[in-house]
Amino acid sequence: MSGAPSAVNGQLEAPPVAKDQRSVFAKIASRMPRAGWGLLIFVVLFIVGGLLRPSLFTLPGLISTATFAAILAAASFGQTVAVIQGGIDLSVPSTIAFAALGFLTWNASFGPVIAFVLALGAGVVIGLANGIIVAKIGLTPIVTTIAMNGLLFGLLLLNFPLSELTVVPDFVKSFTSDRLEIFGVSVAAVLPTVLILMVVLQAVLSYTGWGRSLFLVGSREKAARLAGQPVARIRITGYALSGLLAAFTGIVIVGYFSQAETTMGNSYLLGSVAAVIVGGASMFGGRGSMTGTFVGALVLGQVATLVAVFNLGADIQNLVYGVIILAVLAAYGRDRYAA
Amino acid sequence: MSATTTATITATPPPGRLASGFKRLRYDGALAPILAFVIFFAVYLAINPGLLTRFQLQSAANLIVPLALIALGQLLIVLTGGIDISIGAITGLCNVVFATQIAGLSTPGALILCVATGIVCGAINGSLVAYANLPAIAVTLATAFIYAALARLILDRPGGALTDGIYKVTSGELLPFVPVSLVWLTLIAVGLWMFLQRTAFGRQVYGVGSGRAAVQSAGLKPRLTILVTFMVSGAVVSFGAIMLAGSTLTGDPRSGDSYLLSSIAVVALSGAAFIGGRGSILGTILSAAVLGMVGSLLFFAGINSYWQYVISALIILAVVVIPRLIQFGIRQSALRRGPA
Repeated sequence: MSGAPSAVNGQLEAPPVAKDQRSVFAKIASRMPRAGWGLLIFVVLFIVGGLLRPSLFTLPGLISTATFAAILAAASFGQTVAVIQGGIDLSVPSTIAFAALGFLTWNASFGPVIAFVLALGAGVVIGLANGIIVAKIGLTPIVTTIAMNGLLFGLLLLNFPLSELTVVPDFVKSFTSDRLEIFGVSVAAVLPTVLILMVVLQAVLSYTGWGRSLFLVGSREKAARLAGQPVARIRITGYALSGLLAAFTGIVIVGYFSQAETTMGNSYLLGSVAAVIVGGASMFGGRGSMTGTFVGALVLGQVATLVAVFNLGADIQNLVYGVIILAVLAAYGRDRYAA
Repeated sequence: MSATTTATITATPPPGRLASGFKRLRYDGALAPILAFVIFFAVYLAINPGLLTRFQLQSAANLIVPLALIALGQLLIVLTGGIDISIGAITGLCNVVFATQIAGLSTPGALILCVATGIVCGAINGSLVAYANLPAIAVTLATAFIYAALARLILDRPGGALTDGIYKVTSGELLPFVPVSLVWLTLIAVGLWMFLQRTAFGRQVYGVGSGRAAVQSAGLKPRLTILVTFMVSGAVVSFGAIMLAGSTLTGDPRSGDSYLLSSIAVVALSGAAFIGGRGSILGTILSAAVLGMVGSLLFFAGINSYWQYVISALIILAVVVIPRLIQFGIRQSALRRGPA
């Protein structure tokens, strides 16, 4: 595309060596990070919502959407790690429920801090098992994580048959449902918690050797192998991190909603993948970001808010989710074959 | 590898049908699931010999047949190297269409509309995957949301106007001795087998999965193959939805939800390769029988039925992992022996 200078420009001014002929919009569009598109969709939805119902166009309206999105984002961060390395983690729902119910059960006997550590540890073990089966035995990630999901669901039903919630410990409330005053705005603690998590994870992905290797493994596994990267170890730690984050989400959900049951994670099976895709990650691997995933969750959250406010029902919500995913895919989902 | 086999076939008299079929099953990874089915069936009969009575065989068949058909739909997509996340939603949508339209249209009309719905759903998925170059997993995730929403818009709670006649024809006692649902499954499976193994187009389905570039270079149309495969898959899934509607006598938009994960699990157990190109119809049907009957086996053995999830997962892991470990061991010992 960028080639010889145009005749008009050549007459009017001394052109630079290679003048980009694309329109201004195309130039800006090509430089925009992928998360930017998601953010654009979000802003449009936010303004549309504000025009139709002015009460939505306020800071509290934004914060309530963001709080909803934060929980979905937390569930999707682990999925992002799995997708970047070219895999997928469909064991997220049962990992969430396992960590949540395990935390409540262990909390009763060991106290909150030990239960917290145990629940996160369980997530790591689940992820490690996924990773070892995928990386060492070479089973497809989809099959591995579906089998793991079924296995965990069975264990959940067997071990935590009826877990009606009793009391959420203050320790967990302090980073989930407690209200904080930030710059005079009341915010549920889960929002800053997830934002901090997002920044930390994005830093790990962008600035550590492990993070960069994860992208390399996801986009060109052979190149990673030839470059001497420990591919199996990177994959396994990636799945372990995914399991850890899903477990953390389970505890966050317990803290925020004060309830837990065996099917509590089911909506995050497709929801987490949807947020990752809307956030600009490639299902072929090698592309994706934590900020993008958070934006993806924001878009889905804003749709949910609009649908709830206008009382359209969950059907319309799912319909819009599907259309948004298709639109995002059409915008940048086809890099691998086009290249 | 394939070049040498075709060369030997043309040069020497072809091997016996049985031998080549066996070779084919081994290539498609179906031996381990067939073995698993034989063992499972033996254990089942030992615990509950009553399975072979008319009533029990029929209820077991009614449980297995929808799962087997939907898993066959999933297998077709997996053969091309894709995966269909929307398969549960297509099932729900077809189920609801069949159950509601049977009131206005007659049974054949509802049947045609239901199958057409499945084909259209598959065509949408297939054209986006094949002609827009989008990853199948992402496309079908998006359409899963859309199809599920449409199903709930048509019928938002279990209902519909299915009659006892439908039950009799799909899953009842229409024929002596044999559950009629097994007959329908056999007919569809044989038709699908003829399509995949005995038509040039069917071989292209395997070809697209194992080497898309090669199919393209041979002057064939991989995109059209993918599109048609998705449409055939949609039709097979719609038959599964009809059998499901017939055996439960209700139309339910959520009836398909559990089939997303279970259809993938069945295909995994059947030994099909998820990168495409390998997978067997017989293996898929027997795998569906195993996973479909784990729950009732535990019931007859007097074990808490929650164990079925754990046991199903362990069966899949065992059947898929053990052959890989054996291969790994053979390779390691070959490496130790060094170049011969």
